[in-house]
Amino acid sequence: MKREAEKESLKERLAAAANMPKDVVLGAPVVTILGTGEMCIENYRGILEYTDLLIRVQTKGPQIRLHGKELQIEYYTNDEMKITGRIESLEYIK
Amino acid sequence: MIQKIIRFLRGYVKIRIAGYSPERFLNLCSYHQIYLWGLSPCENSYEMYLSLSAFRRLRPIVRKTHVHLTVVQRAGLPFLLRRYRRRKLFFVGFLLCVSLLYVYSGFIWDIHFEGNEKWTDEVLLEFLAEKDVTPHMRKKEVDCAGIVRDIRKEYNDIVWVSASIDGSRLRIQIKENDDTFETTAKEEEKPNDLVAAEDGVITQIVTRAGTPQVHIGDQVKKGDILVSGRVDVMNDAGEVTDYQYKQADADVYADTQMEYEDTMDVSYRQKTYGKPSKYQVFLQIGRWRFTIGSLKNSYKEKEVFSAEHQMKLGENFYLPVTYGKYEVKPYTSAEKKHTEKEIQDELSENFIQFSKELQEKGIQIQENSVKIHIDQNSASAKGILYLNQKIAEKADTEILEIERKNEDESLGTDN
Repeated sequence: MKREAEKESLKERLAAAANMPKDVVLGAPVVTILGTGEMCIENYRGILEYTDLLIRVQTKGPQIRLHGKELQIEYYTNDEMKITGRIESLEYIK
Repeated sequence: MIQKIIRFLRGYVKIRIAGYSPERFLNLCSYHQIYLWGLSPCENSYEMYLSLSAFRRLRPIVRKTHVHLTVVQRAGLPFLLRRYRRRKLFFVGFLLCVSLLYVYSGFIWDIHFEGNEKWTDEVLLEFLAEKDVTPHMRKKEVDCAGIVRDIRKEYNDIVWVSASIDGSRLRIQIKENDDTFETTAKEEEKPNDLVAAEDGVITQIVTRAGTPQVHIGDQVKKGDILVSGRVDVMNDAGEVTDYQYKQADADVYADTQMEYEDTMDVSYRQKTYGKPSKYQVFLQIGRWRFTIGSLKNSYKEKEVFSAEHQMKLGENFYLPVTYGKYEVKPYTSAEKKHTEKEIQDELSENFIQFSKELQEKGIQIQENSVKIHIDQNSASAKGILYLNQKIAEKADTEILEIERKNEDESLGTDN
């Protein structure tokens, strides 16, 4: 466990040193929220749960938990998804 | 929008996924690069859209995840074609439509002119028709350069022409020479006199060319010479040795008189239109005429209105199809008399209008003695107008021969 964390921070430092984008090197999720009604997630692994009140998305790091109302996935591809609806909160769960 | 059209052309389906782990199904779909849209949860199941080609690749994923798949909706062109595949006439019609469109687009359907003011569309169309350039001709046969050449040759005052084909319309742009609107022809150098056009008393005379024959205060009659175009050339002894002939030019004003009379009937017939008008609508194609409605009537007094329109395609392609309407309006008439005030108003209105017209011509009214008389049947405004106006009118000058004396010649030889 400790070794893994070390490896992670090494990678992070390397990326920072080389000035490389972290979403490419680390596979970090890119979350773009537009106002309160539109959201894009890139670099995710998959959907864990999807109702119109809650969407859970697995990424390489933490899990993203999105609460809201009338949530809908506009489109859904291998590397990007777009969610519309009234977004109320966004959490990261380790 | 474009995306929607592409989706429609390729066909798409709406499916519902239910089962133990629909999320796994979704993740597998994205792993296999299957594009999903409009994903929405619906009572323990998900509904989503996907394209027809993606749907065909779905079977192994469905098996793997043990989900239950139902097709909710099919949409798009492939399904439409399949549904209507038995409607042969529809496809025949479609093919016919496409082929007619193709054939018709090979013709000129309209001729459009731009920039012509002096030469009207009708005149130019007629000219082009002589050269076999008409609407409904084949596009291939149009010779733009030839049209330009013909127009330039025929009309001297058209200085620039361009003919181009714009889709199925022949566009002809024209630039006319503005100078030709003025009369460029030189006035004839024929000598002339100015004579009186009317009887009157001269009040003012300003001569620019010629010899004045009258003075202010002279009484002249119609036809009297006011300014002569002949100028005498005198020698030192005051004898006339020669004449010079010129175009007499002068402003001559004179007081004149004019009789004015305007009559009108006291009685008139007033029409009151009855109600049931009869209508007839017609459509005429070539020589065949279709009518709706009848004009049969037994009205004693009636008015018939008719309106006719010829159909045309675009601006200048007239079709042999006309349509129009006839209307028969019955009326009853009754004899009525104008009141005295009405008569007075109308006659004075006429007189004011007449005076205005005179003033526009540059004639001044100095005095008038017009009075209105009303008889039993007719009313009239009568009187004399005292005017001041230009009375000069052109007339040919009489050419006089000089009587040469023999002595003149001998004098010349003596010196």
